[in-house]
Amino acid sequence: MNAITPPGEAKRQRIFRERAELLAREPEQHGAEEELLDVVEFLLSGEQYAIESVYVTAVHSLKDLTQLPCTPPFVLGVMNMRGKILSVVDLRVFFELPRRALSDLNMLIVLQNDTMTFAIPADGIVGTRGIPRASLLATLPTLTGIRGEYLLGITPQRLVVLDGCKLLGDSRMVVHEEV
Amino acid sequence: MAGKDDEFLKRLLVTFAVEAQEHLQGICSGLLRLEQDKDTAEARAELVETVFREAHSLKGAARAVNLTQVEALCQALESVFAALKRDELSLSVAFFDLLQEVLDYLGVVFLNAGAERTQIDKLLQRQLVSRLEGVVKNETAPKEIFHSSPSVAPLPSVPPRSEFPEAEVTNVSPLLPETIRVATHRLISVLLQTEEMLGAKLSSAERLLHMRSTSAVMGDWRREWSKIVPVVQECRNSRNGVDPREHARGGREKRSALTKLLDFLDWNCDFIKTVEARFVAQLKTTEKDDRVLGGMVTNLLDEMKKVLMIPFSSLLEILPKIARDLSRENGKKINVIISGEEIEIDRRILEEMKDPLVHLVRNCVDHGLESPDERLAKGKPPQGTITVTVAPRDNMVELTVMDDGRGISLANVRSAVLKLGNLPVERVMELSHQELLAQIFQSGITTSPILTEISGRGLGLAIVREKVGKIGGTVNVASTPDFGTTFRMLLPLTVATFRGVLVRVGERQFVLPAMYVERVLRAFPEEIRNVENRRTICIAGVPLSLASLASVLELPPPADKEVSAQLQIVVLNSTEMRIAFQVSEVLGECEVLHKGLGPQLSRVRNIAGATLLGNGHVAPILNVIDLLASAIKMSAFTGRQEETVDSLSAVAEIRSILVAEDSITTRTLLKNILESAGYRVSTAVDGMDALTKLKSDRFDIVVSDVEMPRMNGFDLTAGIRADKNLKDLPVVLVTALASREDRERGIDVGADAYIVKGSFDQSNLLEVLQKLI
Repeated sequence: MNAITPPGEAKRQRIFRERAELLAREPEQHGAEEELLDVVEFLLSGEQYAIESVYVTAVHSLKDLTQLPCTPPFVLGVMNMRGKILSVVDLRVFFELPRRALSDLNMLIVLQNDTMTFAIPADGIVGTRGIPRASLLATLPTLTGIRGEYLLGITPQRLVVLDGCKLLGDSRMVVHEEV
Repeated sequence: MAGKDDEFLKRLLVTFAVEAQEHLQGICSGLLRLEQDKDTAEARAELVETVFREAHSLKGAARAVNLTQVEALCQALESVFAALKRDELSLSVAFFDLLQEVLDYLGVVFLNAGAERTQIDKLLQRQLVSRLEGVVKNETAPKEIFHSSPSVAPLPSVPPRSEFPEAEVTNVSPLLPETIRVATHRLISVLLQTEEMLGAKLSSAERLLHMRSTSAVMGDWRREWSKIVPVVQECRNSRNGVDPREHARGGREKRSALTKLLDFLDWNCDFIKTVEARFVAQLKTTEKDDRVLGGMVTNLLDEMKKVLMIPFSSLLEILPKIARDLSRENGKKINVIISGEEIEIDRRILEEMKDPLVHLVRNCVDHGLESPDERLAKGKPPQGTITVTVAPRDNMVELTVMDDGRGISLANVRSAVLKLGNLPVERVMELSHQELLAQIFQSGITTSPILTEISGRGLGLAIVREKVGKIGGTVNVASTPDFGTTFRMLLPLTVATFRGVLVRVGERQFVLPAMYVERVLRAFPEEIRNVENRRTICIAGVPLSLASLASVLELPPPADKEVSAQLQIVVLNSTEMRIAFQVSEVLGECEVLHKGLGPQLSRVRNIAGATLLGNGHVAPILNVIDLLASAIKMSAFTGRQEETVDSLSAVAEIRSILVAEDSITTRTLLKNILESAGYRVSTAVDGMDALTKLKSDRFDIVVSDVEMPRMNGFDLTAGIRADKNLKDLPVVLVTALASREDRERGIDVGADAYIVKGSFDQSNLLEVLQKLI
């Protein structure tokens, strides 16, 4: 369907991930078998989140956003990104975070897999880092509902790691409405 | 005449050389792979097959351009591969050497195709042919042949290039291929960047506009200055003839201050004039730059679009298969004739046209073509024909889908339009034949008596029109009873820019495709009348409904500060309706390049896409067909809002479904699906049970299995239709029986929809239910 995505994208992504993981692996003393998860860490409504780097194709400043009428509240709008229209999805709606908190949403993280692409806004980008996969805790009782669904895990430092695959693959994200 | 033919042959040879190189490349890489001998037997067989096919195509191509001598060599090559296919040859290094030698030789010959061939050349070819034939004949001992080959071929196996001196002159770049294969996504990325350049062009034009208005402001200054010049002059004169007494009374300073001021005014005037001259010069340069840039961008974009053109065949080749599958299901005989498939068009347009084309062919098969018996009775051949034609029309291309079936029944269309209830009854009766035919593109209009998986929802043609409209094309239909139906689509060759009308609603800007904008006007508030609680306005003597674009787009009413005396109105027009829309301001016309909203926004109500404006902002392009439909929907509510809200919630409460199904599993499943979709569900274990329950309770719809004990679904449906209280109750048959006979029986007994369990997913059922109640 998506003609832009080359057929070997999944394979490429896999290779990239493997390489990234290889590079991110810390020297021996850290435990050779420890698998590191490469993530992009960002801020949203005063909370720290992270998402797997494999799904992040770009980080961009959020400007010139055009709002679209007749779309659900989680669609913030669209913007032009190198000649293509990119839709911007507000995760705060899904996460039941206050939308009018001290949020200044000036950054944008572009997520993409084989079939889907959209951007999520963030208050700031902290950076990229490797998280030992084994250290991820399954869940927190406070993260209920949809936020729990998109959760890959939480680090002992309370960094919430989102499941990029689920976010991109969720059909609830897709707007398809007739009059 | 002969000159023309020569010219043609020359061009053909160039094309051939490119094609031949591709085939040679294919053979060559196949052979190399074989030689490595790393593959499984299966992969090997596939490789040999590929190589054989390439050689065969090469032979065919050589024949087509009259290279008969080369053809002989290709023939020999093909026989070798045929033997290879039969596994009769042992593969030695010498064998591969010989083949590579032949390929090299052919490569040189093809590059120089059309040039006079030398005697040596011909001799060399004959030797190669005989050596190849030797391989096949002595398949048991190919080695021997190769050992003796040096003596058979005393000449160097690959003649040095210098042996073809004349030919080299005729070829531009014999070493490099004429075509390059590039991954589509790369080309698309380049195309997108090229389209970005359009933004540069538009912003340049906008900058120019600003500069012109700045330049115009200078006129104001000149006018003011010319008014003040006499005063200045007067001051100067009076200074010269100033009263000596005043002079004595310390007027010296005063005089010098005045002189300074006057001098400054003179200097100021000169200064501004210089700046103005410079500005005008820059304006001129900018104008030139704008023209050059505009031309460059337009050309670049045009060329880039051409790069991405592909022939229609890639789309049309799926049709025979679709028609064949459909004919299986329907028991109709179908012949598909395709012509003009070689015509090239932008691949994005082709992609958009895939769905519409499939819908049209389905329509032809499902609604158009009759069953073989019916056709024979009408004196037609039992086999129906669908003709798909592509033909160039001026700067566009016409795609025609024609069937020789029963044609469209206008009476059925009329009753379907009445049933949909978008138009008042008397208006429907007034519709001309052409207007009535145009109605079939409306969503929800179907002439099919029954819903099935593939048709009857009345969506197919609506999709056709939407997609065709989106790419800037038009579609119309002509039909003659018993002679067939023709759908004609006029499509642009490339995704072209089109004209749009830029409007403002509150703070937001939207683009309306100019092809739907009938007119733009201003009106005084007094001109608006309320008719039956709807706002209407008389335009050119015709009353039109007036809608607010803000409310149709579900936006808050714009708080426009400059409440001007006049309202700004845009009249939108599509084939079947016209509605006037009130906007905050009509900003002007602009050039629009349609861009999709991306996969996440698969379809947004009322919005067709987006475009870049000259200032770099993105503006949504509105979907006019949707807007008109939304406006009608909304106008149905205005005026009796309270009542509507009440009845709506009431309806939502009482929608109840009776499910008749003998299998407890299916029954429970259906009950769950339907209850989670918000319906009240009762169940019955068979037709008899269902009929009893229907008589004692009130239901909005019946969903029934076909095969049930005591009373089956057909009999239940017939029973419902026979009962005077129940006869209008919608019935959906859900069944494992997919045969045509059963579907027809479903129609006969009066079922409203027929869903096959095989393709049974809940969205399908829910969609059908929503449609029926």
